[in-house]
Parts: sequence; C-alpha cells; structure tokens
Amino acid sequence: MEIVEPTNVYAYKLITKKDYFAPGHRACQGCAEALAVRLVAKALGRNVIVASATGCMEIISSPWPFTSWRVPWIHVAFENAAAVASGVEAGMKVLMRKGKVPKKKITFLAMAGDGGTSDIGVQALSGALERGHDFVYICYDNEAYMNTGIQRSSSTPYGASTTTSPAGKVIPGQMTWKKNMPEIAAAHSIPYVATACPSYPIDLVEKVKKAAKIKGPAYIHMLSVCPTGWRLPPELSIKAGRLAVETGVFPLYEVDHGRYRFTEKVEKLRPVEEYLKIQGRFRHLSEEMRDTIQKRVVEEYKKLVKKVQMTQGD
Amino acid sequence: MIKFTIDGVEVEAEEGQNVLQVALDNGFDIPHLCYHEALEPYGACRLCQVEITKGNRTRLTTSCNYPALEGIQVQTGTEKVIKARKMVIELLLARSPNVPVIKDLAEEYSVGTPRFTLGDDDCILCGLCERVCREIVGVEAISFLGRGSDRKVGPPLEINPQTCIGCGACAYVCPTDCIKVEENENERTIVRWGRTLPMKKCKVCGRSFAPWFQLDYFGKITEGIPSDFWDKCPDCR
Repeated sequence: MEIVEPTNVYAYKLITKKDYFAPGHRACQGCAEALAVRLVAKALGRNVIVASATGCMEIISSPWPFTSWRVPWIHVAFENAAAVASGVEAGMKVLMRKGKVPKKKITFLAMAGDGGTSDIGVQALSGALERGHDFVYICYDNEAYMNTGIQRSSSTPYGASTTTSPAGKVIPGQMTWKKNMPEIAAAHSIPYVATACPSYPIDLVEKVKKAAKIKGPAYIHMLSVCPTGWRLPPELSIKAGRLAVETGVFPLYEVDHGRYRFTEKVEKLRPVEEYLKIQGRFRHLSEEMRDTIQKRVVEEYKKLVKKVQMTQGD
Repeated sequence: MIKFTIDGVEVEAEEGQNVLQVALDNGFDIPHLCYHEALEPYGACRLCQVEITKGNRTRLTTSCNYPALEGIQVQTGTEKVIKARKMVIELLLARSPNVPVIKDLAEEYSVGTPRFTLGDDDCILCGLCERVCREIVGVEAISFLGRGSDRKVGPPLEINPQTCIGCGACAYVCPTDCIKVEENENERTIVRWGRTLPMKKCKVCGRSFAPWFQLDYFGKITEGIPSDFWDKCPDCR
C-alpha cells in the first residue's frame, strides 16, 4: 500500500484499539522502542508467540511478578531469540500435524535489541534465516546496550559517545561505522527484509503485517530512538526518528523477494547536522567529523538508490 | 458478561459485541474480507459464515453481524460451513480472478477454477471504502450505485467526486487493493474515483505534502488552530 504517511490522517483510526502490549511497563519517558513494540503487537494481533531476547524490552515488560504481554511470550538468553523462535515454529508445526493443536495461522516473532541481533545473536539469526523457518525477526535498534548502561555495540554510529567509547582527549567517541544489519539479512536472500521506524507508524504496521503474511523468514530492522542513551529530551524522540529518515541516516525501504523499494521517498535529503545537533551523544563532534558523517550518509544513500533502480527496472 | 461457546470452548463477550469480533479476540481463525473492527458490520462477503445453535435451532449465518447471545453454540469448521465457504470463495474467484487475497483463500480451501463466467473486476463490493468514507472520514464522497448485477461503488453520477478530500483512507482499507493512489510533485490522483487534487507545498522546506482541498477541509472542521499551521508540512511545524 503506497500511502503518503503524514497526510493520511484517517488511517490511524483504522489501526486496532486492542493492546497486546499492556501499558504500565517501566520504559523511560519518551521511549520509542516501547512504542514500536506496542505497534508491532497491534499489527500481529492475538495469534502470535513471541521469543524475546534479553534487553530493554525484557526488563521493562516483565519485572517480577508483572508482565505487559497479553500474548504468549518467552524470555530467552541474549544470543538465541532466533533459535528459540525457530524451535517453537518447528514444534508447533509438528503438533498441528499430529492434531494435538488445532490448525490455525500463528505468527512466530523473535525480537531482540541491536546487541542481541548484530553482536551476540548474529549466528543464531543467520542460521534461522538460512534454514528458512516461517517466522518474523524484529531488531529494535537503539544503537547501544542501553539497559546495562549505554555500552557501545556494533550498531552504534560513528562518532557517538557511549560509556565504553567516551568522547575525550584520546578518542572522539565511537570510531567504527554502524554495521548494516538489514543488508546482512538481505544477503541471505530471504523473502522479506525491511527497515521501519515508530515515527512512521502506519508504514511500520503495514510492514509488520506484510512480514507476518509472507511465508518464510522475514527481518525488520527498527530504529528505536532512546532518549536516555542518545542524550535527547524525551519529547524529541519522535522528531529524532523522523529526522533520521529525512536526513538519510536511516532510510526506510523494503526488500521484497530481492526487489528494493523506498517506502518513504526523500527527494532532497536534509543536512545530517539537523539530526546530530539535537543529540547529546554527538555534541563533541568537530566540523571535520560532521563532514565525514555527511559524506558517508550521502554515499550510502546513493548506493541504496542504485539498488532500487537496478532491481525495480525489469 | 455474556457467556457462550465457540467450537466447544467457553468464551466471554461484552454487551453489543458480535460473534466474529469475540471469535477473533479469542484466537479463532475465521476468514473475512468485509469486516473491520472500526466500522459497522455489513455482512457483504459472506466468508465469515458459521453455524449457530440457539435453543433447538441450528442455522448458517454470518458471524460479523450476529450478536453475541447468552448460551448460543457457535461452530466455525463444520462440513456445512466449509461447503458454504467454498461456494462463496468460488463466486468471489469468478468475479475477481486476479486478486491475490482471494487466490490465497481459494488455495487454502482447495477451490479450483470456478464453474462460472470469469469477470475481471478487482472490486468485490465489500463496502469497506464506502463505510470508511462515511463513518470515519465523514465526507460521503462515494456510495453504492445501481442494483443487482450492475451494483458498484463510485462517486455520485460517476463523475469527479466534489467532496473527496483525497485522504486515501478508502485505498488503505480496501482488502483487494483495487483503489490506487498515484502521486507526483504537483498532484495526487485517486485513480478509481477519477479525483485529481493539486498538492500544497510546505512554506519552509518546499516539499509538497497534502492536497490543498484536504487542508482547507481540516481548517474548516478544526477550531483554535492558527491558519499558518496548515502552511507547513508535519516535519516543519
């Protein structure tokens, strides 16, 4: 569905009113990740089994003796969300075949943070994608290990100051570039890969629905703005998500059976400066480093435009 | 609380809920195309048929507009139900043989090539677009036209609908994707209704973001918002 997001005001009224991720959880103020989880839960509905790796979403949604989940939910270790989800999928398939569970469409969701996906869980994820289980994997990318105290991960962008890559006299923040996880997932030639951001809720909901519908593995990379870790006022978290897309830092696209398509077309990228200046983790950046980031962002964006042109042509 | 059973499982419903709504909330799989929880049920597609036993009488009926009543027994997968559903799918497939959703349903229920004359209309007359325009948007730009086999959805007199604000809610809700929205720098077109609206450009960043007509409409129905609010795109506000 190609609907221009911000103006389709009535589509918001058509998203279900039921919440499967209950309010009252312990996320920080302005947490865009909790918002993303809520929208994903809305999109997937009632028949879903969730395997959630350790991370922010596990600790905020299940402090003993409470839970925010109104659907079956399994907490697993940092590294094996994808492995557990594929096991659950295989198990349910057998139970349905033997007639012990009534046959119906169940979505299997594995979710993890950026650490649980691109650092620790990458081999379990790669294995599950390669085996072709019918499940959805969602990576909530807040660009560092936020729940343990903002340690850098391989998803932390260049120049960001975290507690293990502090900006100071020795290094100016994170010295490596962000790992391109959606491309790694797309390289497995799986049916569906997409990037999403809760600042574009309809787009997010549609992508999750599509991912659940497609047979075979699907991977969604979700930029989840973290006001605490990004040193950002909580009221700006939605704006930061929009700026990430508008500046080209985090383009929204999908890869449907190998075909790239922009879901949110940005004709003229805004300067990256706008995105960087509202975040405290980038405030130490020198003019030179900003230029380097700007150059890299444009370069990456151009690469993506080429991929879109190449795969949409025929 | 109303208590009744679906496939032998006891479920609870609130006053005013319909059987399909309760069944979906409890994880039962009933196919449906014309039902949306935000809109009034309509009972057009007939796919959600179930067998309902009330007292001594059992009958086949659509669950989307059947109220949840105390003590009824609902069967979602009996032989009779499957047979009726197959018939409905065959008719839908004959009307719209190119729609992926219907093709998937036909595969799931192993319905082969329909015995009827094949049509080529992607619209299945579910009425969702008409209801969303009336109930949610509130402009009533489109409605059902004609009777019997000539029945279709469209703007009055099948000319450019003057009240359509080009919001695309009908395209969003359409189960078969037969309503398309095309957009370029200067105008947005809702292809099926033949409505083309010029786009307004943001005063700050210069990108076109919404049709002029739509923003005028929002200006009329909202109060206490400064008039220059509608001159900027949502990112520049």
